[in-house]
This record gives sequence, C-alpha cells and structure tokens, in this order.
Amino acid sequence: MAEAVRRDELVLRRRRVADADLSSVLAGKRFLLFDGAMGTQLQARGLAAGELPELLCLTNPGEVTAIHTAYVTAGADVVTTNTFGANAAKLGAAASVEEVFQAAVACARAARPRYVAADLGPTGQLLAPMGPLAFDDAYELFARQARAADAAGADLFIIETMSDLAEAKAALLAVRENSDLPAVVSMTFAEDGRTFLGTTPEVAALTLSSMGADAVGINCSLGPSEVIPLVERMLPWTSCPVLVQANAGLPRVEDGVTVYDVGVDEYVAAVERMLGMGVTIVGGCCGTTPDYIAAERALLDARRPAPRHVRDCFAVCGPQRLVSLEAGQVGVIGERINPTGKRRMQEALRSGNHDLVMGEAIAQERAGAQILDVNAGLPEIDERAVMCRLVAELQGVTTLPLQIDASDPAVIEAAVRSYPGKPLINSVNGKGESLSAVLPIAAHYGCAVVGLTLDEDGIPATSDGRLAVARKIVTEADALGIPRHDVVIDCLAMAASTDQTAPRAILDAIRAVKHELPGVRTVLGVSNISFGLPFRPLVNATFLAAAFSAGLDLAIINPESRRMMDAVDSWRVLSGEDASARFYVEHYAGRTDAVGAPSLHGDKSLASQAPSDGEGARSEDPAERARSLVLEGRSAPVAEAVAQVLESHDALYAINEVLIPALDEVGRRFEKGTFFLPQLMASAEAAKAGFEVIRASTPAADAATSGKGTIVICTVHGDIHDIGKNIVRMLLENYGYDVVDLGRDVPPEVVADETVARHAPLVGLSALMTSTVPAMAETIKLLRERAPWCKVVVGGAVLTPEYAQMVGADFYAKDATETAHIAGEVLGR
Amino acid sequence: MPGAVEAYGIDAVDLGEVLRYLGYSGQKLDGELAARIDEVVARCLSVGRPRGVTRVFGVEGSSERDGVPVLRLSGTSLELAGHSIASHLDGAVAVGVLVVTAGMGVEAELRRLSLTDRVAQVIFDAAGSALVERAANAAEASLVAQAADRGLYCGTRFSPGYGDLPLETQPVLLAALDAGRLLGITLSDSLLMSPTKSVTAVAGFFERPPTDARPGCSACYAREFCLLRRSGRTCRG
Repeated sequence: MAEAVRRDELVLRRRRVADADLSSVLAGKRFLLFDGAMGTQLQARGLAAGELPELLCLTNPGEVTAIHTAYVTAGADVVTTNTFGANAAKLGAAASVEEVFQAAVACARAARPRYVAADLGPTGQLLAPMGPLAFDDAYELFARQARAADAAGADLFIIETMSDLAEAKAALLAVRENSDLPAVVSMTFAEDGRTFLGTTPEVAALTLSSMGADAVGINCSLGPSEVIPLVERMLPWTSCPVLVQANAGLPRVEDGVTVYDVGVDEYVAAVERMLGMGVTIVGGCCGTTPDYIAAERALLDARRPAPRHVRDCFAVCGPQRLVSLEAGQVGVIGERINPTGKRRMQEALRSGNHDLVMGEAIAQERAGAQILDVNAGLPEIDERAVMCRLVAELQGVTTLPLQIDASDPAVIEAAVRSYPGKPLINSVNGKGESLSAVLPIAAHYGCAVVGLTLDEDGIPATSDGRLAVARKIVTEADALGIPRHDVVIDCLAMAASTDQTAPRAILDAIRAVKHELPGVRTVLGVSNISFGLPFRPLVNATFLAAAFSAGLDLAIINPESRRMMDAVDSWRVLSGEDASARFYVEHYAGRTDAVGAPSLHGDKSLASQAPSDGEGARSEDPAERARSLVLEGRSAPVAEAVAQVLESHDALYAINEVLIPALDEVGRRFEKGTFFLPQLMASAEAAKAGFEVIRASTPAADAATSGKGTIVICTVHGDIHDIGKNIVRMLLENYGYDVVDLGRDVPPEVVADETVARHAPLVGLSALMTSTVPAMAETIKLLRERAPWCKVVVGGAVLTPEYAQMVGADFYAKDATETAHIAGEVLGR
Repeated sequence: MPGAVEAYGIDAVDLGEVLRYLGYSGQKLDGELAARIDEVVARCLSVGRPRGVTRVFGVEGSSERDGVPVLRLSGTSLELAGHSIASHLDGAVAVGVLVVTAGMGVEAELRRLSLTDRVAQVIFDAAGSALVERAANAAEASLVAQAADRGLYCGTRFSPGYGDLPLETQPVLLAALDAGRLLGITLSDSLLMSPTKSVTAVAGFFERPPTDARPGCSACYAREFCLLRRSGRTCRG
C-alpha cells in the first residue's frame, strides 16, 4: 500500500481548479461539455484493430490533434487526452507512461481547448478477489498515470468506462493522493442496469462521491435512451455534478463495418431530457462525432442547470447493494462475525479455514441482517491480514455492506481502502487519540463511522455526559467535512443488573443525541444490558423496543436470535415502517410462542428426507448406518447417525472405526473408478458433517479429530483455479490434518512465510496452467531455502510425474486420494 | 472498430458433456446426486449470460520469423504464428476471429461456491465449461454464416494455446475484438482470461470446403442426443 494517509493535510487539501468557471461547474451551477469519441475517430483514420491507440500521440501527433481540434471547433469545453489504455501494464516496452502523457497532453493543448482532461481507463486486468490483480498494484498503475498527467499539465482527470468499483476506487485514490486536480469518475453499465461486476448506479454514485469524486457519471456501452433510467437512479445518491457520455446507440455490423444507430437529433433529444433531470456534464462516447458535440453545444447554450433533489439519509453499500435508512426506519447489524468468547470462531481465524465465518454471514443475511459487523481481533494473529482476507471472502458469499470493526486504525484503514463500496467503521470514540486517528480515515475514504460515547474518563454515567462526548465527536467530524448522516453515535449499553438507573440514562442519551445533534444517527449493541440476568434474550428484546422508541436507528444484534428479530419486525409495524404490516402479516400469520416454531426467514431444513436405497443406510446399527451414508454422500443423516454412535461409544471409536474406514472405502472406489468425482466429494462432505458432530460433542473429541499435523496448501502465483485444491483440502481435513489453505494466486513468499511460521512438514501446491508451472518451481526453490525440513507434493491438470520432478517436488499426486496417501506417509495416519 | 455483441440464447447444455468433465464413465448414479447435478446445471444456465463478438479480417500474407511461419491479417495488428495454425489456415482467404464468455455471473457463482459448497463448485465448473463450449459453437456458427455471405466456407475453430499457436496471441486478439469493453473480459499477467469461462478462437474462410475439416460434433444435427458422444467418444474415432 502507499504510505498511510497523511491525515488532516490530505483530507482538507483544496483542489487546484483551472478557473472560476470550472469551479462553478464543480459546484453544479454551470454546464460543462466534453468531447466525443476518440477511438471511433482514430479507427476511421485507419488505426488497425488491436493496435495501441495511445502510441499515436508519439508517432502521429498531428492526427490526434486534428481530432481534438474538430471537437473544439464543434464547441467542446474539454478535450480528453488519448490515454485510455496508457498504463504501464498495457504499454509494456512500447513507451513509458510519462512520455505518452507528455505527448498526449501536448496534442490536446495544441487544439486550444478551455480544459484538458487526462483520461484514465481500466487497467485491463481483473482485480482481486475475483481476479489476480492486487488492489495495491492497480493503485500503483493509476498513481503513475496520475503523476504523469499532472506533470504534463492536465487541468482535470476523467476516470471512465469502469466496470469494477474496486478499480474505480483505486484510480480515484491514486488521483487524490498524487494530484490536487479535480477528478470525474464514470462507470459503464449494461442493459440490466449493472456493470459487468454487478455494481448499480446508486452504489457507484454513493461510493465514489463519498470518497470525494468531483463528479460522477455514466459512459459507454449504451445509447442515450438506455442511459436515462440509469442516470435517474444515480442522481439522488450524490450531491456532486453528474456526467453522461453515452454511445451513439448500440453498435451493429453492416458489411463488416461497425455502425451506430442513433443519429444526432435523437441523441440530443435524450440529452435534453437528462439535463432536465439534473445532469450538468455531457459529451459523447463510442460512435459520436463533432456533429453530436455541436448539437449539444447549442442545447447547453439555451439552458440552465436544473435543480437537484439529493437524499439526506444514512446509507452504506457493498459493491452490489445499497442499504439506506430514511428517518423513522430502523436497521439491523449482524454481530456474529467476532471471535470474542467464541472458541470455534477463534480457531477458524487462527487456521485460516473460514467456512464457519462464511456460514455465519449467510445465516445472518437469511435471518434479516442488513449490515454485517466483521471483527478479527485476536491477540495472536495478524489482524490486518486476516481482516482484509475476510472482507474479500465475504464479498463472495454475501452482498450485504460490511461494518469494519477494529480498534487499530491501521487495520481499519487497510480494510476500508480496498473495500468496493461505502463501509461503516466501528469505531471512533471521544479520546483525542482516537479522534485524530480514525475520523480522517472515515473522511478520506468516504465511510460512515460509529462514535462511541466514551473518552479519557471512561463511559459517562449520565445522559448529559454521553451527549457531551457525542458532541465532541460530531464537532470533529463536522470539521473534517464528514456529513452528519454518516456519523452514528453509540450511547453504550451497560448492565442493568449492576446499576438499574443505567437503562434510563442510555435511553435519555439516545433522545438527547437525536435532539441536540440534528442529522446524526444512533446505534447500540444491545446485549450488554442483560449481563448477569437470567433469560437474557427477553431483557434484550424489551430494551431494544424501548431504544427504538427513544429514536435508535441501528441495532447491533444477533439476527439469528428469534426474539430479537421479533422485536425488530414488530417495531417496524408500530412505527409504520412496515407499510400495511405487509411483511409482518406474511411472516407471522399462524405464528405461536410454541417451542420449535418454524423459523421466520427460512432456515435450511436440517434433515434430508430423501429415502435411501442402500441396505446399510437403514441398518439398526448406527455405526453401520453412518458408514453406508458416507458412501452415499448424505450429510444430514450421517450427522444423525454419528450422534447416535456417540451415545454408546467414544469419539475415537466414531472416528477410527466408523468415519475413517468409510472414507478409505470411498477412496478405494474412486481409485477403481466405481466412484466419480462428485461422489467422492459428496462422501467427503458427508463425513465432514459427521466429524462436526464429534467435534461439537466435547473439547477432548475436538482434539482427537485434529492434531495429526499441519499441511499448507494453495494454488500457485498467477493461477486462480482452485477446484482441485479445494477437493484436496476437503479430504485432508477429513483425515484429521490441520489444513492451512492459503487460497489461490499465492506468491512464493507467502507460502514460505506460513510454512516457516507453522513449521509445517508438508506443503501441497496446485497449478492448472502450463504458464504457472514456473511459479511452482519458484515456490519450491524458496521453500528449500527457508523451510528445508518440509516435503512438497504437487498436483494439477497440467502436471505429470516428470514435471513434478523437474520443478523439484518430493511427490506427485494424480488426484486427491493420492494426496491423502502421501500425507499419511509423511505425517502418519 | 468494435463489432456488435452477439447474445446467445442457450437454454440447455449437454449433460453428457458435464458428466464427462466430471470424470463420469458409467458409474451408478443415485437419485440424490443426479438431482443435485440437475439443480446446479440449471443454476449455471440461469446465471450465465453467454455473449460473444466475431470479426472477419482478410489474409494479407505470410512471412517467417525465427523459422516460424507468421500469418498477417489486414486491418489488424493481430498475427497468427506457428506451424500448426499455418497448416490449419492453409489456403484461407480470410480469417474469422471469435471471443465468447459465459459472463461474470458464472465467475461470481463459482467464487461463491468455492467458499460455501465445494461439491457444487466442481459440478458448476463443469456446467460452466459446457456452457461456454456451446457459446463457442454458436459464435462459430455465426462465422459459418458470415463466410457463406461471402460465398466462402468456414473451417473449424482453433484457439491460442492449441498446437504451437502461442498464448501470447491473446492480448492483441482480445484488443482487436474490443473484448474488454464489449464483454468485460480481462487478461492476467499469466494470460489467463477472466471470466475463466471464456474462449477465443480463429477459423479460416476458404473458397472450397476445406478437405481436412471433417465436420465436428458442433456441426452435427445429432449432437444433443448422440449416444456415442454421451459415452465420451465421437464417430470420428
């Protein structure tokens, strides 16, 4: 990562704006007209398909300037440099980023426009977690462009045609941290109203404008009529100017030539509608020509910017979903992803096996959570690394926005910096040290932030004391330009059992904060209130209802607790948020207080009812039944059968006499070819369900199911195929090894670090492409230097025993069962 | 110049192909697993958005570089190097270039399953491969039609990485079809496409039906119900 934020200085740094007219554009009081397509014009002048158009700035500057000049003559205020793909990765050895930007800005200036906008397009690589490009590497590509453009004398930046919000964010941060020129950020959407990566116009507007984009917008992909409904969705979520540069309709091929089907008149009519909605910056994208720009010029000259209606409400978002609370609405933050006091969660974070965490995320979403709190605070782990990995993985399983929960500002900054969306930070407090460290992070990265009402003197006992701390936090936030609706005050619940005046003080404090600090929101972790009392859920739910009544906006609770969600859902009826009680009636009709009432938001049914055709599966003997069910790959019945086995036997019997022999049989059948891959995996999954039951039974059993030794596995650097590796992991875990799964695309140093840190006797490396086999060799070489004790097993589609020998591995495994045999050889079974 | 995006309305994949990718060779398949496979395949079809772009370039000529034949095309900086592609395109007067993808939705679902349900991930991966294969067949069919419009015959498709046609062909091929902007396809440093369920290929346009191009399964009317195919073999041996 680049240096940590230079705090206040960066947050408060002013923009260097070319002139007063451009300032009024950025204030939304004046129109701005960009140019039209560059690529289409270059191709019309004979640019070959697949060539780097940016190089023409060096080889044929006259041609590039001629295109710019045509747009200036047509009336464009801004010309966009011919630098869409001018990043170090795409240019390679053909030219340096600096020389291309120097030449490109010179070409633009030669056309004598009012302003020159430096164009930054996508890197051309997919960012992590879906792709292989690290956020920080993307940032570096953009940062070099930003410095080059600034040095070359551009007036502003336009970051455009982005489909990945993380990449747009990397580009915007790179500009913000390497230049003080204004930046416009524009994303591109498909007909379904989402970018290729699923981002909506609302999410793009909220995230990018919160981070300090000077204007946000939509360009490319669609014609102007298709853009209208999308820009209509974007406008309410940003207070900064909105830009639209549509294509001249959709392209189609006629006689081998690409033509666009929207003419000038139709184009301008659509632009006029958008101006009426509040768009103030326009221009053109693919297929547009100087004629389109000239017509837009005439349109703009005859109009004035239309008034805008921007929402003023609490809103956060992940890359695909925005969660907002209008006045009077309440929200639920799921608290379960937190290792404090949870042994299994602690183990999961230590081992790096995050299945449990992913499961909690899914269960909380299903139970009605709208935001997920994520806490990785364990003393003995690298909290920053684990937090970042969790945040990345959670994006794969849930669309809910995240609340980054950490006390170390460095952990918070690392997590929010690359988060594709607008997260909530948990938390800042009234201590001077916290205010000066955390609030600038919230301001710089455009996050909402939870403020705890405690300071150097602890938690004030009175509501006045809490209000005073809240006021201090809000005053500081105001000074940094953090909007009031992004500040969420937590008045801190204290145990009623030790001080029965505490609950009233908390409720009074919530009322006082809402009244005295208008615009600020409130949040509360409720469960402390019942500490020391029996049947805590009842006290928690009662207090939650009282807190809602006092004006609480967000509750941090366990949404899987039925009673808590009952309180939330019923409050929403009483407050009017659940209009016509539609949700309540739909989900609570027929509900009683009987034990075991069916779960509201549709829990997974635990037992599979499917009949079995196997004889053994119906056996009276639970051990026999469990063995057969593992072979059939049926998880839920295996769990039941193993639970029965444990009624009459100990854990070791269930492991060594039931599950392991069944797995051995599965392996034999797979090797003989009577089982194929999904059957092998379904059986492994079923056995895992059995092991879970054993583990949960006693801590001693937990020890018995693991502790055979540590195996580090991963897919090597450059390769993102992880299926084979995942299968191997399933099997090895079943056999009781502690598997440290480093994931995919893992650099050699990371493999070596982990192997050394855990003194692992065995490392498994997977590669699926011939092009990544060298990375495997490199990893093994490093392991030999740094962890000479460890054995290395390799596998993957392209590998052969010969390849394995060539890269220096100790073992070659043709499939997962063979890896399990090898593990047995190295570590003992 | 970008061509138009072709959307392929694919509502089924060859289940035999999915099973073959999974290593199936006639094992007993119980009801529960079969149902699970059906369900995952259906999910793949519902999240998939098979799309493609095709373009046709004239053959400009060929030369040799470091002893390797290089075919040059007109109107593009795309070059096709190697002995295998030279013989595959021998006599071609034009070359059709295609890129297809199953879409980022398939990629996102694969990632979700890799974190939550690894059995389903394996099945979904096979289904995604079968889906993009069908998309490639559809794009190839589009090239066949474009060849016919010119009174030419389209040969079978050939992808970078086959034979000695280098994977390094990918960056320029994708740029020539504007695949990043039109389809959201990106390339890693190791020349791996994202979404991973994407295919690039080239096919020659010939004045006579190419003699070596026996019609593959993709062109066969029986491909969806062929029992030979389902067992993992073809009638061409």
